[in-house]
Amino acid sequence: MNAPHFHLILNHVPTIGSAIAIGLLLLGLLRRQEALTRVSLEVFYVIALITLPAYLSGVATGMELEKMPDISVEAIHKHHDGAIVAFGLMLLTGLSAWFGLWQWRRVNRPSWINIGIVLVLSLLTLTTMAGTATMGGEIRHPEMMPEGSAPTAGPSWIHAASIQSLVTDHTWIWPSLEALHFIGLWLLFGVVLLVNLRMLGMMKSVPFSALHRMLPWAVLGLGINIVSGMMWVIATPEQYMANVSFFWKMGFLLLAGLNLLYVTAFDEAWQVGANEDASFGNKAIAFGAIASWVFVMYFGRMLPFLGNAF
Amino acid sequence: MDFIIQLQHSAVMDWVRESGSLLGYPAILFLHTIGLATVAGLNGAIDLRLLGVASRIPLAPLNRFFPFIWGAFGVTALSGVTLLIADAETKLRSPVFYIKMAFIILALINLQLLKKRVFADPNVDTHPVTSQARMLAFTSLVFWVAATTAGRLMAYIGPVAGLGS
Repeated sequence: MNAPHFHLILNHVPTIGSAIAIGLLLLGLLRRQEALTRVSLEVFYVIALITLPAYLSGVATGMELEKMPDISVEAIHKHHDGAIVAFGLMLLTGLSAWFGLWQWRRVNRPSWINIGIVLVLSLLTLTTMAGTATMGGEIRHPEMMPEGSAPTAGPSWIHAASIQSLVTDHTWIWPSLEALHFIGLWLLFGVVLLVNLRMLGMMKSVPFSALHRMLPWAVLGLGINIVSGMMWVIATPEQYMANVSFFWKMGFLLLAGLNLLYVTAFDEAWQVGANEDASFGNKAIAFGAIASWVFVMYFGRMLPFLGNAF
Repeated sequence: MDFIIQLQHSAVMDWVRESGSLLGYPAILFLHTIGLATVAGLNGAIDLRLLGVASRIPLAPLNRFFPFIWGAFGVTALSGVTLLIADAETKLRSPVFYIKMAFIILALINLQLLKKRVFADPNVDTHPVTSQARMLAFTSLVFWVAATTAGRLMAYIGPVAGLGS
């Protein structure tokens, strides 16, 4: 299985996934079933996670495809520009959904402002994602276009090429991103350790619900690192796309991302009270979470050694 | 200084630097990363708590993290010294290296002050967080951010080694 194969499997998930999640959200609101609304937020979060490999495999596919004859490089670039906007909106939707779940868990009722924001963002995401998908289809399927019609237009205000020149033309940007990426790394890892070491039995007198309030700071660190990481990938995709270490880093990142949903939203984690020993399952999950983040850091550090970066 | 540079050319350090083994330079670099993430991360989380985040977490139980932070600092320091010796000629000439060391020393003094002035008090949870504790939490965050930034910039500013860093 190679990158184009991955991309063909994953590329429908962001579009169809957000359509399904929007449907669940609306159905929950219509039927006044809060459980359904809550599930829709969880689905948005997971779809946002899956959009990461969908995007990355697309970048790798584009690099392969550009080498082939009779391929419009311009069409690939337009598809990429659209994908950056759609992926960005998808991340914002996932972040808002995460924040909604975090608040909901804390106060035990939904925040309607948050649900409204998620709905608006997800509709924007779906529209741009569908446009991006159409552009992607047109690269290899001219039969999609009626004779004489123009290809679907990409966004005019953002270009992968301008992000690329921004990062590579200014010598100070790359090191600044490095500093931010490492500050984001320890901010995230510190909160991850605090929360998961409690599960494993350190400071047992503290109920899990008190630590839950720390989680937005982990997500802030993650956000800083996704943005800085994306800038590098867009600027120098050749360093990452054929890099086995990057592949594993992203794999463990997805696992760790799922764990973040678990500690944020699931009853099993929330209900660990003061002076209570966490269940064996919770302990195993906490151990797995720390291990996943450690592997994310390991394979990040090994990018130049196991792979070809730098 | 000459002594450290002599060490750079010892057989062990030649191996660390040039063997190409994943157990050499890459493994030590990884230990340094894990160590710094644990030290600055846990210290940073404690700072955030003192600044008002998740104020339902009692302070006294956080005492248990101090030995953990110092243990992780041991790993960071040992791996750091190894990385320094392996590339001493470059790093000892880098002004950013000394800036980094200064901020780490400040951050560690700050950590000790947090322990002695805030967490050593057995009644720490019976009164609101003092303004002195909040000040120490704030400076701690500033020092770790500055140390991390300087650490990263060592690979870009001044003499830069050819090693992956």
